[in-house]
Amino acid sequence: MSEALLQIKQLNASYDGDTDVIRDVCFELTPGEIICIVGESGSGKSTLIKAIHGMSDLIISKGQILFDGRDLTHMKGNPRRELLGTEIGLIPQDPAASFNPIRRFDVQLKEALASHSRKDEGKAAEILEKMGMPDSRAVLHNRPFEVSGGMNQRIAIAAAMMFAPRLLLCDEATSALDVTTAGSVVDELLRIRKEQGTAILMVTHHLGIAKRMADQIGIMKNGKIVEYGNVRQIFEAPSHEYTRNLIRDVPRLKR
Amino acid sequence: MDKKKKQLKRKVMIAAACAGVLVVLALLSGVIAPNDPYATNAALIRKGPSAAYLFGTDNLGRCVLSRVLVGARTTIAATFILVAISFVIGILVGMLCGFYGGIVDEVMMRIADLMLAFPQMVVAIAVAGILGGGLGGAMIALGITMWTSFARLARSHTLSIKNEPYIQAARLLGKSGPRILLIHIMPNILEPVLINALTQIGTTMIGISGLSFLGLGVVAPQAEWGSMINEARAYIQIAPWAVLFPAAATVITIIVFNYLGDAVMEYRKADQ
Amino acid sequence: MTEMKADIMQMNRQPVLSGSNLNKTYHSGGRTVHPLQNVSFEVCPGEILGIVGESGSGKSTLLRVISGLECPDSGVLTYKGFHYHGYGPEKTGKFLQMIFQNAYGSFDPRMTMERSLREGSGADRQEILRMICEVGLTEDLLERKPRHLSGGQCQRMSIARALLTHAQILLCDEITSALDVTTQAQVIKLLTEVRAAEDVSIILVSHDLALVSMICDRIMVMQDGYIVDQGKTEDVINAPSDYYTRKLLNSIISV
Repeated sequence: MSEALLQIKQLNASYDGDTDVIRDVCFELTPGEIICIVGESGSGKSTLIKAIHGMSDLIISKGQILFDGRDLTHMKGNPRRELLGTEIGLIPQDPAASFNPIRRFDVQLKEALASHSRKDEGKAAEILEKMGMPDSRAVLHNRPFEVSGGMNQRIAIAAAMMFAPRLLLCDEATSALDVTTAGSVVDELLRIRKEQGTAILMVTHHLGIAKRMADQIGIMKNGKIVEYGNVRQIFEAPSHEYTRNLIRDVPRLKR
Repeated sequence: MDKKKKQLKRKVMIAAACAGVLVVLALLSGVIAPNDPYATNAALIRKGPSAAYLFGTDNLGRCVLSRVLVGARTTIAATFILVAISFVIGILVGMLCGFYGGIVDEVMMRIADLMLAFPQMVVAIAVAGILGGGLGGAMIALGITMWTSFARLARSHTLSIKNEPYIQAARLLGKSGPRILLIHIMPNILEPVLINALTQIGTTMIGISGLSFLGLGVVAPQAEWGSMINEARAYIQIAPWAVLFPAAATVITIIVFNYLGDAVMEYRKADQ
Repeated sequence: MTEMKADIMQMNRQPVLSGSNLNKTYHSGGRTVHPLQNVSFEVCPGEILGIVGESGSGKSTLLRVISGLECPDSGVLTYKGFHYHGYGPEKTGKFLQMIFQNAYGSFDPRMTMERSLREGSGADRQEILRMICEVGLTEDLLERKPRHLSGGQCQRMSIARALLTHAQILLCDEITSALDVTTQAQVIKLLTEVRAAEDVSIILVSHDLALVSMICDRIMVMQDGYIVDQGKTEDVINAPSDYYTRKLLNSIISV
C-alpha cells in the first residue's frame, strides 16, 4: 500500500496574515516512512510542524494538509484534538517543558489516557520496558524535574506511543540532549518505526541525524524547501548550493 | 501583531494626553481659578452651581471650583514629589542590595518585609498621627512604606541582570562595581521601575487624600480634595455639590493615572 | 628522534596558563555537586586547548574558575608562573577574556556596538575599526544595537572586544552552540585566524568533539568533574585511552 499517509500540498502559512513564514511546501509521507526536514534557525521548519499539529494560532493562507485522506487544513477544536494524540503523536524539543514539572509521570499519563477515554495504564510502562528500562514503573513514579533530559525525552516518546499513532511529529526532538543521549533517542525512534510501522516527520538542524534516520530529506531555507530527495541523493549529489554549504560546514572529526 | 501594537500605542497617547491636561490644569490653577479659593463670603454660603460659581460654594461661601483647582495642585504636586523621592531611594537601595548582596541586602530586605507586613494605610495613619498634621507629615507617613515596593522591584531586576553575560564581561573588562551599576544596570532596570512608579501615582493620591480626609494631612484653610470632602460631608444633604465635585476630581484623576500606568505596561509587554 | 625534539620544544615553552588540583563543590537544595575534582591543566602560548564534555561534566565551571568569575575551593592557578588564585575578574581581565555562549547577552542591549567596544577596552575608533576588519565585520555594524545583529555577527563582535583588551588568553564557552552550522564554521575559522594574527592562546569548551577536533592542538575530556582523558588531538581521536572518550567518539552522528 503506497497510499500517502500525510500529504502537504502547496502549503503557505503565516503568523500575522501578511508575511508567509513557509511558502509552497509540498511533500508526501507514506506509512512507515521517515522524512527529515533540515534547516537552520528561521527557516520555518518548526512552523511546518505547528501547521500539521494545528494547536497554535497559525494562519494557513494557501494549500492543503491531508492526513489519511482527511483534510486537516482548517480542522479545529475537538475533531483536531481527537486526532492529535491518538493518530498523530508529537515529540517536542524540550521534553521537560511538555510535562508538568512537579507532577508524577504516571499521574500525567493517566490523565492523557483519560482525556481520550482510554484506560490501559500499563501501556506506557510496557513501552518503556521495550526501550530497555526494566524498572519502568519506578521511573514513572518520578517527577519530570527529578530525571535527566534523555529520560524525559524517552518518557515523552513512550507517552506519544501509548496511543500507537500512525504518525509521529518530532520537533528538534534531540537537540536539547547530550550527544550520547541523542544517539539512543534516534535509535529508539528507528526501532519504533521498524516494529510498529509508524511514519515519522522530524525537523532538525542536524544533518547527521537526518542522514541516520531519514528515507527522504527536505532542505528548508527561508520558508521554502529548496531541495528534496532521498538520503543518498542529498548527500552524494546535492544539487542546490545551499545544501552543499550545509554539508560542507558540518564539523567532522579530524583524524 | 502590528495592529494591536498601534491600538495600544493610541491608548497610551490618549491616557497621557488626559494626564497631561490634568497636570497643566493643576499647574495653572492660580491663573485659571475664577475666584479666590480662600475668600469667604457670608452672603454666598452653600449656594448651588451658577454662572459665577460653576461648582457652587461651600459652608464658608468659598468657590468650590477654585478650591478644586488649587487643591489639584496640592494633591498632584505632593503625589509627584512623594513618588519621585520614593523612586530614587527605592531604586538606589534595591540596586545596591541586589548587586552586592550580603549582610546589607539581608538587613534592608528584612526592613522592607517589616514595612510590608502592615497595611500601608495603617502604618501611614500611625506615623502621621505621631508626626502631627501637615502635608509633610502625611508624605513621610506614606513614603515610609512606599520605597519598599520600588526597592524590591529594582532588586529583583538587578538580580536577574547581574548574571547576564554582559555584566560578567564588563567585570572581566575591569569595570568597577559602581560603574557597572551606573552604566549597565541602572539604564536596564529603569524602565520597569518607572512603569511601577506610574502605577503607584493613583494609589499615592488616594493615600494623601485619605490622610487629609482623616484630618492627618493638610491643615485647615489650605485646599486639598480629601480635606474638602471631609469638611463638606457634614452638610452633604444641603450642599451635595461641595462633596461631589472634589470627590469627582479625585476619582477622575486616579482613574486617569491608573489607566496611564496600565496602558504603558500593556504597551511594553506587547513590545517585547 | 622527532619525538625528543618535540619534547625539548615543549620544555622550552613555559605554559602561559596552568591550574593544578582544582576543586569546586556546590551545595544546593540538600544535594552536593562536585563540578571540579582534582583538575589540572596547562595551556602553552599560542595553543588551542579543547575541553569536551556533556552537560554537567564541569567544563563550564572550569572555565569560570579559570576566568576568576568563580573561586575554586582549592588548587592553584598560575599565569606565566604567577599565582592568581583568588583574583577577581577585575584583575584576571588584564590577561584573559571570556567569550560567552549567549552572544546577544554579551552586550548591553541599550548600547551601540561602538559604545560597547569602547566602553569595554578604552580603545579609540581607529583601533576599533582595525579590529572590526580583522574579525570580518564592517564599519556600519558599529552603529547598531545587539538585537539588530545576527548571532554570528554578535559573536564576532565579542571576539573583537576581547582582542581589543590585548588579552593573552581567550576562554570560549560553547561559543557556537547557539549558531547555525554555516555560521559556526565561520566563527571557528575566525578563532584559528586570530590565534595566528594576535598570538593568543585559546581554551575552547564544547560538547561537540568533532568541532573541537577540527581546530584544537590538544583535547581534554571531562566527565562528572574529572578529566578522564587528555592528549594531543590526534592521539585522543585515534587512540582514546578512556572508555568514555570512546563512547563520545562512537556517539558522533556524522554525515
